[in-house]
Amino acid sequence: MSVIQEVAKTRGASRELRKGDGKAAAIFLAPWFLGLGLITAFPLLASLYLSFTDYSLLEAPSWIGLENYQRMFEDPRWLQSLSVTLRYVLISVPLQLMAALALAMVLDRGLRGLAIYRSVYYLPSLLGSSVAIALLWRQVFGADGLVNQVLGYFGIQGYGWVSHPDYALGTLMILNVWTFGAPMIIFLAGLRQIPAMYYEAASIDGASKVRQFFNITIPLLSPIIFFNLVLQLIGAFQSFTQAFIVSGGTGGPVDSTLFYTLYLYQNGFKSFDMGYASAMAWFLLLIVAGMTAVNFLASKYWVFYDD
Amino acid sequence: MRATTTRRGRTRAAFIAMTAAGAMALGACGSGSSGGPGSDSTQAEEGGEGDGVEIRFSWWGSDDRHQTTQEIIDLFEEKNPGITVVPDYTDWGGYWDKLATSTAGGDTPDVITHEERFIADYANRGVLADLESLDIDTSEMQDTVIDGGRVDGTLYGLATGVNAYAMMADPQIFADAGVEVPDDTTWTWEDFVAVSGELSKAAGDGVYGTQDIGFNEAGLSILARQKGQNLYNEDGSLGVDAETVSQFFQIGLDLQENGGAPDGSRTVEIQNAGPEGSLLGTNAGGMGVWWSNQLGALSSASGHELELLRMPGETEYERTGMYFKPAMFYSVSATTEHPEESAMFVDFLLNDPEVAALQLTDRGLPSNLSVRESILGDLEAADAKVADFMADLEDEIVDGPPVPPNGAGDVQDIMIRLNSEVLFGSMTPDEAAEAFLSEVEAATSN
Repeated sequence: MSVIQEVAKTRGASRELRKGDGKAAAIFLAPWFLGLGLITAFPLLASLYLSFTDYSLLEAPSWIGLENYQRMFEDPRWLQSLSVTLRYVLISVPLQLMAALALAMVLDRGLRGLAIYRSVYYLPSLLGSSVAIALLWRQVFGADGLVNQVLGYFGIQGYGWVSHPDYALGTLMILNVWTFGAPMIIFLAGLRQIPAMYYEAASIDGASKVRQFFNITIPLLSPIIFFNLVLQLIGAFQSFTQAFIVSGGTGGPVDSTLFYTLYLYQNGFKSFDMGYASAMAWFLLLIVAGMTAVNFLASKYWVFYDD
Repeated sequence: MRATTTRRGRTRAAFIAMTAAGAMALGACGSGSSGGPGSDSTQAEEGGEGDGVEIRFSWWGSDDRHQTTQEIIDLFEEKNPGITVVPDYTDWGGYWDKLATSTAGGDTPDVITHEERFIADYANRGVLADLESLDIDTSEMQDTVIDGGRVDGTLYGLATGVNAYAMMADPQIFADAGVEVPDDTTWTWEDFVAVSGELSKAAGDGVYGTQDIGFNEAGLSILARQKGQNLYNEDGSLGVDAETVSQFFQIGLDLQENGGAPDGSRTVEIQNAGPEGSLLGTNAGGMGVWWSNQLGALSSASGHELELLRMPGETEYERTGMYFKPAMFYSVSATTEHPEESAMFVDFLLNDPEVAALQLTDRGLPSNLSVRESILGDLEAADAKVADFMADLEDEIVDGPPVPPNGAGDVQDIMIRLNSEVLFGSMTPDEAAEAFLSEVEAATSN
């Protein structure tokens, strides 16, 4: 226990501010706050207003109250986009975190050349939501792509996976799982924080590796898991580029990759319906905020803080 | 002691997570609009001479077009000292986002390149000027082509040039398979399906008769016209019946059944791949429907000398259905501060032979007939073929379809989705036709 108290003390000390730092901080933060105001906060409030209007972009907006919000629930494509997004989030995020944790544990064993492995596995995270990777995905999962070539060796004739309505969303989920690098790095840092003495004590007491994982690693890592979960959930709700590129902006085939944000974009910029698009954006904010709130409430029961 | 550290730790971790969550949730609303590729870098020359007039000209396209257009602008500025033309260009996808956004911001370009499916949206909302009130010479343009730019009788766009939606065929693939290229003056839609199936069989593995034709409403428009109907009527309402739409979707299904076209998922994939990845472009198919100005790109992708054919069914029903589509329009902003100079610029773009000599058929086969005449000698093989083909069609084409109504920009997406439903078997052609009519009705009714 004393070790932990020592650590806590030194951390506490480093957090004390020296007088006079405040002004400098304000100056350094000013450009950021300016950007926040002009580029984020103002459009944000404007979109709240626009969500209650009929706004074609080309004419002045006219107030229509809650009509845009009512319309959502009668719009089958909106429901489809919500369903596509929820499936994508609920399936790919847990898988992604599991992959991240598994790899982090392998790397935590102190392999030789750890830095190289870490970079290699982190790379997809940097590239994941880029146009280039979406294009690559279209190739890999295409009718004559890498996946089908491999399947061909086993005599299996594959589809054009990205352009088949039953599988297109699946390929995008795989893409999201593949970008496990960022949560992996965070897990890796978290694993390093767990004092080795817990494991030593446990193994002296005869606990198996599995038992150690569930009774030591998971509880001590739970704040990190929680952090990653919240971040990745929000990120996944906002996915846009992959579907946009893979489907050529249509959300096809047959709306199977019609992400919420993609449908929002289509409404705003292709159907001249920016009012409706704004309402959709605010509804997404509610969904994400609600999801995050539930997460925080639930965290009481499974997240264990020990530091 | 133990209790306090835990508490502090929890607050801190929660705070970090909360801040991150908040920032990203804010981002959720902000990132709905894609920034789009920036293109303002070339707006360097400001003002020019003291009392000079500055107009902004917006267009979409590839690098080639940007370079040629810059040369055209330089030429205009040279001939008209005192007027500066500021270029404002992006690719096709980003163009409409940008135009809508800059119009919303009260910063509409003075001279706007427009397109059939979007012009009514802008015209009906008062963004565009009546071109007949401006001084632009249209004496060398055909009336049917000029009328293509009218919305409710008012002229909002002048066609830069014309294209035709036509069947393209690769004679070499026909020859290798031992199948004869059909006679396009008499062939029916059934012939098209049959010959595609035959070609697929004879050509062997990996080569298909045709690429699916159901992803573009232009094909439906032609079939409707052949049967004496219209995709859209003059007043913007739908002018096509469910039977015709169903017949159109059925063609795709028939092609799947007799193997004349690739299966659903491969078809969707090729559909997204542009001319370079098309069946014709990759020597993997005998036919495909395209706009005539794409012959050059297709020919160079395939390396074969492609032929232009009339659409099937031109002699099957009541009348011919093919038409000259305005490739693009030049429009002028209704709120421009310099209507005269903008009109001068449009007049120059349409009527100056030197402009045509620079851009050739890049904005369609020039709509000004004497200008068209003047560049025929300079055309490359594929473009010359298009010019010949269009000249042959001149007598057969009855009229042009009316400008599509507000919301027509959505129709292609509806078409793509419903055609996919049919190809993947989740809807019958009849169901897709019903859905098409009601969805297009809804999209174009505001």
